[in-house]
Amino acid sequence: MTPQLTQTADVAIPELAGLQRRLLLAGAIGAVLSLAGAFLDLRQFMQSYLMAYMLCLGVTLGCLALGMLHQLSGGAWGVVIRRPIGAASRTLPVMTLLFLPIALGMNHLYIWTNADLVAHDEILQHKHLYLNTPFFLARAALYFIVWNALAYFLNAWSLEQDKTGDEKFARRMQMLSAGGLLAYGFTITFASFDWMMSLEPHWFSTIYGVLILGGQGLSALAFLIIVLAWLSRRAPLDTIVAPAHFHDLGNLMLAFVMLWAYFSFSQYLIIWSGNLPVEIAWYMHRLQTGWRGVGITLIVGHFVAPFVVLLSRQVKRQPELLMKVAVFVLLVRLIDLFWLIAPEFHQAGVSVSWLDAVLPLTLGSIWMAAFVYQLRGRAILPVNDPEFDEALGRIIERGAPQKAAH
Amino acid sequence: MNSVADGLQPIDDSNARVTTGPTPVIAPGHTFGTVTDKISAIVLTRKTPIGWYAGFGTALMFTGLLLVSLTYLVTKGIGIWGNNIPVGWAFDITNFVWWIGIGHAGTLISAILLLLRQTWRTSINRFAEAMTLFAVSCAGIFPLFHTGRPWLGYWLFPYSNTMGLWPQFRSPLIWDVFAVSTYATVSLLFWFVGLIPDLATLRDRSQSPVGRFIYGMLAMGWRGSAHHWHRYETAYLLLAGLATPLVVSVHTVVSFDFAVSIVPGWHTTIFPPYFVAGAIYSGFAMVLTLAIPIRAIYNLEDFITMRHLQNMAKVMLVTGLIVAYGYLTEAFIAWYSGDKYEGFVPMNRMFGPYAVFYWALILCNVVIPQLLWFKKIRLSVASLFIIAIIVNVGMWLERFVIIVLSLHRDFLPSSWGMYSPTFWDWSTFLGTIGLFLSLLFLFLRFLPMISIFEMRTILPEAKVGDQ
Repeated sequence: MTPQLTQTADVAIPELAGLQRRLLLAGAIGAVLSLAGAFLDLRQFMQSYLMAYMLCLGVTLGCLALGMLHQLSGGAWGVVIRRPIGAASRTLPVMTLLFLPIALGMNHLYIWTNADLVAHDEILQHKHLYLNTPFFLARAALYFIVWNALAYFLNAWSLEQDKTGDEKFARRMQMLSAGGLLAYGFTITFASFDWMMSLEPHWFSTIYGVLILGGQGLSALAFLIIVLAWLSRRAPLDTIVAPAHFHDLGNLMLAFVMLWAYFSFSQYLIIWSGNLPVEIAWYMHRLQTGWRGVGITLIVGHFVAPFVVLLSRQVKRQPELLMKVAVFVLLVRLIDLFWLIAPEFHQAGVSVSWLDAVLPLTLGSIWMAAFVYQLRGRAILPVNDPEFDEALGRIIERGAPQKAAH
Repeated sequence: MNSVADGLQPIDDSNARVTTGPTPVIAPGHTFGTVTDKISAIVLTRKTPIGWYAGFGTALMFTGLLLVSLTYLVTKGIGIWGNNIPVGWAFDITNFVWWIGIGHAGTLISAILLLLRQTWRTSINRFAEAMTLFAVSCAGIFPLFHTGRPWLGYWLFPYSNTMGLWPQFRSPLIWDVFAVSTYATVSLLFWFVGLIPDLATLRDRSQSPVGRFIYGMLAMGWRGSAHHWHRYETAYLLLAGLATPLVVSVHTVVSFDFAVSIVPGWHTTIFPPYFVAGAIYSGFAMVLTLAIPIRAIYNLEDFITMRHLQNMAKVMLVTGLIVAYGYLTEAFIAWYSGDKYEGFVPMNRMFGPYAVFYWALILCNVVIPQLLWFKKIRLSVASLFIIAIIVNVGMWLERFVIIVLSLHRDFLPSSWGMYSPTFWDWSTFLGTIGLFLSLLFLFLRFLPMISIFEMRTILPEAKVGDQ
């Protein structure tokens, strides 16, 4: 086994430090621009911030959930991305801090915080029991406690396992993952109701939580494919990651693309055919205005294009190509969040602000810097994982699949 | 086609673990010969157990009851059922959805688990697929006879006719016709194609000329040449690919039957994924309900091991939790919507005249299956069997609650009513269970219930060339 495998990523991949610095710099510049934007148009800032935040949170929580899923299902696809998954989940404290602007600016996002409006609206009065500021904040606190606790314990035990190779940690992680997935399912459902569905407080859809959950899984997979493609170009992973790993991840991404389409179409068909005033309103100001173009873009970009491309075996087995698809998927994930959030603020027609580009880049850079920082601290592969040999050991013994490293 | 096959090359060789480890998928000590002997003997040489005659006889009696019920239905009309206005759908659709759901486990095990390279599926896929076919047959009876004139059933299909009549394509009931008939066709083909190599084995081993003739016809000239195997593998993978979307599509369309209406309790967007999860839940419960006695009666513990039972229990636990998630979001959103009709639905379910059904459903589908979290329970065959039966009952209750409770009290209190099943409702339902079991008994007696050749491939002997 090459010594690089047991070194921390910091030592094994020296470029990471420079990458982190550049990302931080980009984040700092973006932060200044965004702050300027906040002074110019606070409402627009909040709206773009929420969108950017949900994308970053989606990658973070999606990674946490995929990590837990892999603890339960096993399989080689997860072993090679275990470390990036862990690093992504350890950015949760940062994501918790980054929620503060939403908590502080919620009056600019959620019309149900407006007491006058609620006083004249019977339905909103009914919902006041759930949609009120203190309860909203308390729920958010609960979600973050759950997510941070899951990330903390899973990472701490994974580290212990790395040091000692003790099998008991694998068992513990499995137990926590089973309950953790359940907890994630419930918290993300209510978080998506609170933070996104309640933007239009009269509207409701029971599939909404699942739709967001599936989207987070897709964002996380796309992100992990990009990271793995980047890492697989460098020692030590260049001799370990095989096309088959990308093939598996590509298949998973395809499955999540289909899942998203399935959920979205089900929601649309059921609401369209019911045609009830409260429900259809949500689609009316999306489909009978300029927003329609965004919807069509989503059908093509979020489903048809990635679906067709990912059917190809060649694409899934070539890291460079698959990475391009993944970048595209992350972009359409952002457009999907834009579609879910922005029309609530601009019901008359499409409105794209420069902040819709700056804030995702800014939050994305800050988040990525935190991710790279976390990635640097540990070895790039979980060498003491009980599944490690089974998943990769044989490949190492046989030597590199394509490129020879020695 | 090579691309699909190559995509299935395992990168983690879980086969290596098949006979080792604490819970193997096939007991150690078996060889190609013993596997073939053991499975084919059930059909060819072993004396048919007296229990088989007793079981088949009983099942046949209930099938007779089905024939009587259907004959009476055709002569009298569907007024013999308890259906009324406002409860126009009741036992018929409840049983239809229940049976269709049960079929899903077979397709999931045979198609999706095959594509996911889960080798443990091998010993349970054959009879799970058979179960799918029989369940779909039972399911089809209900909507067909609910039309009242089953001999005009072909009117459901769009065909040019002198009456100038076309089905309403916007109705999910028509989508159902296509979804279910496609499902039945693909399931049958998949099952039959999978049987061909084993039918050839039976042909070659059968001592009686009649057996040789019949198995020989069915084996369609299979000689086991490299060409045959190559084509077989390609066809089987293609069919698996075709069957995979059907696992999702059929029950999605079934959920649309309800969800595209505006009836409170039916019109809700979570229905498609939650119906699919419920279908798989009930399907695995049925596989366990059947597998546990079968493995005991035919001494198949070597082939259907604790690993299979455990894995199926885990699938049940997961899908059961998804179903519970569905109940929770449904109830929450019913309140959150602020709509008084929506809000009334959970209240009526929990405290209305049928409350006892609702709470029984929660007990069967949500509370009791949580025992499956414990390894001790998952390793106890008896408790697995009991839980599986409870889930079967729970999933039937779920459909009853969804269908009858939404209809009996809708928007106008003046049009509220009650439903209670008549003797003929019960006799038709029990009759389909009889039909299902009769077909199953025939299957166990005359066809290999476990895929012989696939079992051979998971033996360590088959791994020689892999190293």
